[in-house]
Amino acid sequence: MNRRVTTIVVAAVIAAAALFVFLRGTSNDNEASDASSAGSFAAQTSWGEPNLTGVWKAEPLGARTGRDTFNLTELEALYTPDARARMKTLSAKDDPTMHCAPPAFPRAAMLGHPVQIVQRPGFAFVLTEAYPVFRILPTTGRPHTSEQYLYPTHMGDSTARWEGDTLVVDVIAFNGEGWLASADDKPTGASTGVWLTSPSMHVVERWRRVDADTLEYRATVEDPQMLTKSWETPMVTFKRQPIDVIAEALCRPEDGPETYLTRLGS
Amino acid sequence: MSVRKLAVMTMLAGAGIAVLALVAALGAPRASAQIRPYTPPKTATPGADWTERIEEILPPGVESRAEATKRVQTYTPDPAKYPIPRTPWDGKPDFSGVYWPDATFAPPPVALESLYRPEAREYREGGGAARGLIDWRGIDTPNYHCWPPSPVNGSMGGTVQLVSTPGYLLVLNEGASNFRIIPIVGENGAQPRASRRPSFQGSSVGHWEGDTLVVEVSDFNGKPWLGNAQPPNRLPQTTSDALRITERWSRPDAQVFEYRLVVEDPKMLTAPWTGASDRRGIMPYDTVQESLCFLDPELDARHREFAEAQAKKNAGGVR
Repeated sequence: MNRRVTTIVVAAVIAAAALFVFLRGTSNDNEASDASSAGSFAAQTSWGEPNLTGVWKAEPLGARTGRDTFNLTELEALYTPDARARMKTLSAKDDPTMHCAPPAFPRAAMLGHPVQIVQRPGFAFVLTEAYPVFRILPTTGRPHTSEQYLYPTHMGDSTARWEGDTLVVDVIAFNGEGWLASADDKPTGASTGVWLTSPSMHVVERWRRVDADTLEYRATVEDPQMLTKSWETPMVTFKRQPIDVIAEALCRPEDGPETYLTRLGS
Repeated sequence: MSVRKLAVMTMLAGAGIAVLALVAALGAPRASAQIRPYTPPKTATPGADWTERIEEILPPGVESRAEATKRVQTYTPDPAKYPIPRTPWDGKPDFSGVYWPDATFAPPPVALESLYRPEAREYREGGGAARGLIDWRGIDTPNYHCWPPSPVNGSMGGTVQLVSTPGYLLVLNEGASNFRIIPIVGENGAQPRASRRPSFQGSSVGHWEGDTLVVEVSDFNGKPWLGNAQPPNRLPQTTSDALRITERWSRPDAQVFEYRLVVEDPKMLTAPWTGASDRRGIMPYDTVQESLCFLDPELDARHREFAEAQAKKNAGGVR
């Protein structure tokens, strides 16, 4: 009898402790996700998803200085003969970013400019400072916008799902106008600096928060009309920035598009 | 023995169920199960004016844009029937949704034009040439430059997606694909860390007054217009770097959100101006779409000419 009471008391204490730990965890998350004041450092959002929120920035990447930091040598080798022939007829002025069209990811991840991520249940939003544009990533794995209504855009149509702590984003419906790198990226002596894509481009991105200050990004690009096989970006390491809001940095062609990145301080 | 075992198991199972129930209650995402993905019409072309597109995605049972606007305009919020959605993290109204159309339910008490300082006339005549616009009588307006929409509308173009997240309200415009990030000051009162460099959309800081999100916007760059010119009678409604806007965002029920604002600009206006009170209706979609704005090539060419002429003038020592 006595032992039974003891056992019940012990069980009750365990249950209470479990509840306490759980509730404390929840309330901590709530505090930590008060993003406006302190940045959101908790590993999980208060609703239990991996927490990617924050303002993040990576080093600029590419092949501008004779050093290839974005696997562009490999990408260049993957272009089909037809694509190469077309690329020879184009030059820097044909790069859509010269008209302030926002570069799609993964190119946007090479720029070295801040990116802000916010989340709510079922969605993540990626907002870029350079060539400002927003991306809406449904994180429930819902289907893409239905095909009969899908139309091509610069940033593509995204849908995403969590694989463990990694947000895997599937992007389709590009308009084929974007380039995969800039005219200044010339990894080899034979480089044209032209990096075409087609509307059949398909990008799979992986976003993962490694720790409170580090976010890793990588992408796989398929484009059967342009590339003989899929191309993988290297890992891009974003670091948390000590701000709560990215700045306004509109690209204005009338200012001279070529000066835009200079103005941004890249 | 078996009774004890049973008691232990019961307790543990009870605790487990309690924990699971709490996980389910607190941790479950507020799924948008009834919201369907946005389905723009197939005929839409990228970059097409959003207004053309929205005509084609009218809510079921609504015949025209005018009818939709009238419905929203005359709508009486009913929180008993359509409870105010609240966020799972702070219990404040959840603005998240795609909204359209923009309907004014209370016009401004006085016309903005009546508050413009007479001495601002010369500046307005110039259309703010010093700020980069050269010909307001023609097509040289902020819209044609793909600048963000007038701040009088909260920089909301046409169809807008609002997103409540812990610590922020996002305003995502379908028109021109521009956005605002409004950080919300938490209970500890810490101010958001952000650039205060003057900009087109200014810096926004929100705080809650009951269920109303009050947003103070300042640090504008003097380039936005509050309203376009109406040649030959009305000059462009220019702003200065002293522009400050106080916005009040509310969600009176699940069907709509409402927006009110007061504009102050002591360099341009003789008194604060209370703008129109607007209401927008929720649409059954979960995203807006990309609809980027690109500079009119004709305007671009004229600006390049103008810039070259200015450069020549400057080189010649004339000012």
